[in-house]
Amino acid sequence: MLIQLVVTGVALGSMYGLVALGYHITWATSRTMNFSQGTAVMAGAVIAYAFAVALGWPFLPSLLLTLLGCCGFGLAIERVAVRPFFRASSPAWLLSTIACGIIVENTAMLFFGKDTRAFPSPLTQRPILVGGAGFYLQELLIPIVGLLLMGAVQLFYHRTAYGKQLKAVAWNAEAAGLMGIHIPRAVMTAYALSALLAGVAGVLLAPVLNVAATMGTIIGLKAFAVAIIGGLTSAPGIVLAGLGYGLVESFVAGYVSTGAREIVGFGLTILVLVIRPWGLLGARPTRRV
Amino acid sequence: MTALGWAALGLAAAALPLLTANTYYLYVGANAGLLVIVAAGLNVLAGFTGQISLGHAGFYAIGAYTAALLSVKAGWNPVLATLVAVALAALIGAAVGAAALRVSGPYLAMVTIAFGIIVEGILIEWVSLTGGPGGVFSIPRPTLRGSYWLILAMAALALWLVVNLRASAWGRAFLAVRDSEVAAESLGLSAHYVRTVAFSLSAAFAGAAGGLFAFLNGYISPDSFTLQTSILFLLALLFGGMGYTAGPVVGALVLTLLPELLTRLTDYRLILYGALLLLSIYWLPSGVAGALARGRPRRQLRSPASAASAGERPGALGEEPVAATGPTLLRIEDVGVAFGGLTALAGVSLTVAGRGIYAVIGPNGAGKTTLLNVLSGFTAPDTGTLRLLDQAIARRPPHAIARLGVARTFQTAQLFAELTALENVAVGMAGRRLGSVLAALLGSPGTRRRERALAGDAAALLRTMGLGEWADLPADVLPAGLRRRLEIVRALATRPRLLLLDEPAAGLSPAEIKELDAQLTALRAGRGPAIILVEHHMDLVMAISDRVAVLDDGRVIADGSPESVRRDPAVIEAYLGAPA
Repeated sequence: MLIQLVVTGVALGSMYGLVALGYHITWATSRTMNFSQGTAVMAGAVIAYAFAVALGWPFLPSLLLTLLGCCGFGLAIERVAVRPFFRASSPAWLLSTIACGIIVENTAMLFFGKDTRAFPSPLTQRPILVGGAGFYLQELLIPIVGLLLMGAVQLFYHRTAYGKQLKAVAWNAEAAGLMGIHIPRAVMTAYALSALLAGVAGVLLAPVLNVAATMGTIIGLKAFAVAIIGGLTSAPGIVLAGLGYGLVESFVAGYVSTGAREIVGFGLTILVLVIRPWGLLGARPTRRV
Repeated sequence: MTALGWAALGLAAAALPLLTANTYYLYVGANAGLLVIVAAGLNVLAGFTGQISLGHAGFYAIGAYTAALLSVKAGWNPVLATLVAVALAALIGAAVGAAALRVSGPYLAMVTIAFGIIVEGILIEWVSLTGGPGGVFSIPRPTLRGSYWLILAMAALALWLVVNLRASAWGRAFLAVRDSEVAAESLGLSAHYVRTVAFSLSAAFAGAAGGLFAFLNGYISPDSFTLQTSILFLLALLFGGMGYTAGPVVGALVLTLLPELLTRLTDYRLILYGALLLLSIYWLPSGVAGALARGRPRRQLRSPASAASAGERPGALGEEPVAATGPTLLRIEDVGVAFGGLTALAGVSLTVAGRGIYAVIGPNGAGKTTLLNVLSGFTAPDTGTLRLLDQAIARRPPHAIARLGVARTFQTAQLFAELTALENVAVGMAGRRLGSVLAALLGSPGTRRRERALAGDAAALLRTMGLGEWADLPADVLPAGLRRRLEIVRALATRPRLLLLDEPAAGLSPAEIKELDAQLTALRAGRGPAIILVEHHMDLVMAISDRVAVLDDGRVIADGSPESVRRDPAVIEAYLGAPA
């Protein structure tokens, strides 16, 4: 039981962290985010399903097309719902991304149907038994890929020239713009990368959670909670908060009930926001007059 | 919309049950009425204070379940049950608001979403109380006609209450914290408290609608109280027009009727909602009501028609002068502030007597504005003490310091853009004294009397300060010079003991500086407050100041009469550089 809960918790938690990192990336570059990031998770799962299961294409080209599709989705969201309201003081981008999320989710439902569909994977055929606990190989694959990806994102930001430019934009957009960095392109890159990470989470989760047009909403919300808990400005905080959230959720679901899971998870989120509004590892904002 | 238009709309809606026996129309109409009530409440929160909630389905649920359970399980009278439901929603709203409104933007969205999900989770999980996913059955219900009329009356009541509220000191306070939180704080308003009240009120409206919803349907289940419901509430307000009385009505009618007209397209219903939301953000930023009302003024408090109606009140320019033997007005001792490694103030000590103009000058970056921010509570000093009339004020919040009689202006004038000049002054004049929010909702005679007196006093003060003719113009259309003067008048309206002016002459034309000079001279000659003046225009400073302190690199390098400071070698060095 215990091992099972830890495996599930780490698997889900790493995915929350991966999706939450997407919020962090766009927030850092533009002080905006796709509030319906969950639809990008769903898009990843649904596109992968369309190619790999419905059309029966081989794995690699399917994955490649899915990732491309997710990047395109991120770019579209940026163009339609964010750029017109870039850096506006009003919450317009918040509401417009929610609107886009509703439209995309329900359009997907028109084509995909209301049913949940299984996504067969060779890694979910047979459970492995370890000391009485059963879990799928996929559940081990998820956190490994997730943590590797999160590490890769960090390397990209800290080690590559373009990543450093993006970091500069995050630090001070005005100064970065004066140094010749193309800010609109940096924001587009952030949105594409953000949707890409969410899409990968969708593909990885599809065999475990099954695929449905509505699967993204709750994952997106929990990832947002994770981003807030860890600190929107802190990537390491988000990774840790993701794992923590996944573990807490898994244990509450295991020992109390699945319903209590959301109550405890979102209750903790409110608690963190009340005590440390800037998150566990986020930068404390200073007041300007 | 005119009064006649409202009456016609109300009559038409009330006559509907007499014109048709089709229960379906009545049911749809009743649901539109419920949405009007919720959206009218959200208008107070989102339209007036500018804070968004994505969790009001939670309060709708609290109202519905409280009313339903009290009448089904405890056998209470439905009216009493609904009243308790409203009170409980308001109470929980106050608690959630107090916690949530410490943050804003996406953070606030998260807290409210989390609240809604938690309520929904509790409804599903606490089976013994709520009936779990199955919900509550056989709630007593009046006839559909009766329900319809009741909901219609309640919707009209909700709109009327919000109109009254907007026309009161509370309404101005809501808009003030939305347009400029720092200015509102500097006038003695606690932005957090004001917003929490707005949140609680909007929760109460949602709770009332929830209670009515339970008695309309006779059956409730958690399915009706999801995140989608919260988004629908907000969409009704946004599409109709945030901040406008007609907004909730337009939004509720369109969002309830449109899907019914397109019943064959039920699968597209949510896509339609999403598209409407997106379209209204793109092309109708102030909603349908805002688009129709464009260009029309939305004045609330008006200056009295006859100029002579309000007597010039003697003490209107400041508190009674402090007696010469009393404690020193302000004693600043050894104050230090550092931002990270950057020292903004170091060991600053100044003493301000009860009266006169004390100028603080110095090169850019010397710490002048930081000193004002410390004095008014916007920056907490790292070291040192501040005593105002022998009370320690360091590290108190800005609104608490303002209430002790410290008023200020800002380097870029922070006016409440959507309020008129008169209303701006009225916010300062009322300060924290907003009166009872219930009386404001009901538009009680006492509230109306107070409003008339406030309008008279504010108009008189504006006339005294030479701004009378601009009283009824929105603050954001005034030119820069008038904006600065209006900000000073608004600060004076709080009847301060100490007035802090942050570069009032910056960006003014020579003619405007002359007027400012006259205004400050008049204040000094009259019974005005003591003034700390941060300013770069040396002619102005030397002409009107009683005493001048010079800050350089966070330290006081000279402090004395204008004449002595002008000749001080250290000052000359700071401004012109060391002699070769």
